[in-house]
Amino acid sequence: MRKLFIAVAVAVVSSRGGAQGALSIQGLGYPTGGMSARAEGTGGGVADFDALSLVSPASLVAVGSAALFFQYSPEFRRVTAGSASAKTTTARFPLVEGVLPMGQQWTLGLSSSTFLDRSFETSLVRRQAVGATTDSVDVTERNKVLGAINDVRLALAWARSPVFRIGVGAHVFSGSNRITFAQLFPDSTKYISSEQSGRLSFAGFAASLGVEYHPVRAIGFALSGRKGGDLRAQSGDTAIGNAKLPDHYAGSVVYEGIPGTSISARVAHDSWSSLASLSSSNTKAFDGWDMGGGVELTGPRLLQRIVILRVGARVRTLPFGFNGERVSERSFTGGIGLPLARDRAGFDFAIQHANRTVKADVKERGFILSFGLRVSP
Amino acid sequence: MKLSSLPLRSFACALVFLAVLSCSENLDNSGVCAVLCPPVGGEVQTVILDATVTLDTTVQALSGFGAEPSLFLASRGDTLDTRVIIRFDSLPATFAPAGDTVQPIQSVDSAYIRLEIDTLTIKGAGPFTIDAYDVDTQAHDTSTAAILALFRPDRLITSQVFARADLKDTLRYYLPNAAVLNRIQTGTHLRVGLQVSAPTSSQIRIGSAEGGVTPLLLFRATPDTATKPLTVFPLSTTPAGEPIVASHLSDYTIVAKGPPPAPPSDLAVGGFPPHRVYMRFDIPSSIIDSTTVVRATLLLNQLPNPLLDPTDSVLILPQLVFAGKVVTDPAKATQIASEIVGDTLLVFPGGSGEKNVELARAFSVWHSESPDSLPRAIVLKTLNEGNSLLEIRFSSSEDASSLRPRLRISYTSRVPLRVP
Repeated sequence: MRKLFIAVAVAVVSSRGGAQGALSIQGLGYPTGGMSARAEGTGGGVADFDALSLVSPASLVAVGSAALFFQYSPEFRRVTAGSASAKTTTARFPLVEGVLPMGQQWTLGLSSSTFLDRSFETSLVRRQAVGATTDSVDVTERNKVLGAINDVRLALAWARSPVFRIGVGAHVFSGSNRITFAQLFPDSTKYISSEQSGRLSFAGFAASLGVEYHPVRAIGFALSGRKGGDLRAQSGDTAIGNAKLPDHYAGSVVYEGIPGTSISARVAHDSWSSLASLSSSNTKAFDGWDMGGGVELTGPRLLQRIVILRVGARVRTLPFGFNGERVSERSFTGGIGLPLARDRAGFDFAIQHANRTVKADVKERGFILSFGLRVSP
Repeated sequence: MKLSSLPLRSFACALVFLAVLSCSENLDNSGVCAVLCPPVGGEVQTVILDATVTLDTTVQALSGFGAEPSLFLASRGDTLDTRVIIRFDSLPATFAPAGDTVQPIQSVDSAYIRLEIDTLTIKGAGPFTIDAYDVDTQAHDTSTAAILALFRPDRLITSQVFARADLKDTLRYYLPNAAVLNRIQTGTHLRVGLQVSAPTSSQIRIGSAEGGVTPLLLFRATPDTATKPLTVFPLSTTPAGEPIVASHLSDYTIVAKGPPPAPPSDLAVGGFPPHRVYMRFDIPSSIIDSTTVVRATLLLNQLPNPLLDPTDSVLILPQLVFAGKVVTDPAKATQIASEIVGDTLLVFPGGSGEKNVELARAFSVWHSESPDSLPRAIVLKTLNEGNSLLEIRFSSSEDASSLRPRLRISYTSRVPLRVP
């Protein structure tokens, strides 16, 4: 009976779905978040105060000295649907950033982060009548998409004192999805397999503003927002759609009243539904909240270096639904920070265990490792 | 608090291992595709085009008389009687004995024609009597009647009998030494006509010059075995001034009696001399240009041809015609063709009913070329063309509509690659 139920559920879901092999890469893809490994380790709580995260331009001031930052974040994912499952490994380079203080009060930052990553490959075998009514053959549909929309930001931050910081950013969203679709037939003497390939290009603009306020040394508040402009999609020279980049607003608080400890929390809202008009298959986009918090504390001393330990949790709604249902992501995070070269460099590592769920009998679990390296030349 | 470096090193090693492991990207989610991957491609549509053939005709497969890659020596009762002609129009007049100077040929010893035989296709249990006739004549080179008239007793050179077991891959057919010496000394042609007879139906396939297995005349000009035998290749010196035609006539087959030819309204593939079928189609550009053809099948109605080996198998090979529009002669167009289909059709001469010839690969070529530069035409030929006497027949576009050649095309529309 259970098998029958699963079979029926599978048939219903597959007949309606617009899916791409996993819950997290629906629609235009997975939002990596623009957070550094440090911020990811605290569930995103510290992101608005972190100079290496790209959510608030005001936080640039906190970098202190000129720095280059690079992050590598592979994800090991497992998707389960009924009794079937698939394991994937996605290598992402979601963040690269250069920060340059200009005098005592101003800091300039140029960065690029992955906004929506859409990399997947699926292979579906289906029975198809071809030729005479009695002839049928197994057709393999192979669908491969590689690419992402990236957020390139030029930001300027100002701070006269540690009490108040403000920053603005100008964003250019660009990127492409390389799509390859093949229909493969088994007998090349009878059938012709076909392959199509194309490239979807995206271009858009946005502007961001962030402020930080630390009324006392032990506590700080941050507000940030990004106002989305137009996002245009093209296939070759042909425009295929327009949408508004989603607005993003966030508020954070950090408490540093306990020596060696930093407790932070953040709540953000993304208007992902503004991207829905770009969809050609009515993939539903959901506005959603992104809430997280964590603790960062001074850990043990290793090789004469103080290790920073981090732990956190995060809940958010992913932008694109599955079969019209909202996809939620719950993550537990942890990480470490390690100063190197007498603090002229720093290594951050974070691990996230993310569970993504919908009401349907589909589950997704991902382990995201983030390796961040900061160098101050 | 201080920790030893061992946990740190272990942790660092683990991170490096994970980082390296993740470099090998695997994006394949196929395991859950039954649920998460609905079909992207559209349904395959199938149409049958009835009046698609604009020209279908049977043409000669080879470029001239005697161009076949095999020689057939057959005596099959009232059905088939074929003879083999081998011309040695140039015989050596001198030879060089071992350790001596060149001398005129005064004697001939151990003269024979070496024939390469396809032992797998021999029909009949034997014994096989092979008669050799002098078929040298001043008559027109391609006059079958004139040559057949020379197969008479006063022209008989020799006769030999072979048991079935004697027919090996290489057969020595001995000629009278005097007959060869006479041609050498008189400077005349040695043209030999071979005819087989047997108690039962018989057929022997012999290699020809066009097939790369040339019959040879060998003899010794001296009984001294230390002197190498002389080897003479077939050569025809007539018709004068037409070297290609003469080349074909160095060895060839003539049909004294054969099955009746296919009616003009039928399409015939194979046989002897071999035939091909040329077919040109009118296919809507909406199918070729705007869709993705995944399968195309030519539906043919086979007509039984039971006269000769009706249950023997024949493989038919479709080819794509690459001759442009300027080549208006179908016979010539069939010579400018290439195998692209990669599949053959197995049929039997006595078979009948619908036969399917797969043509999908032709459509992929036609998709990239305009009909002005590449007419939508194919050739049907036998895989063993010229090496088999069997003929397959099909209904043509002149037959009743239900029997005419048709095209069944299965296609899908191109998938728009869009934002999901």
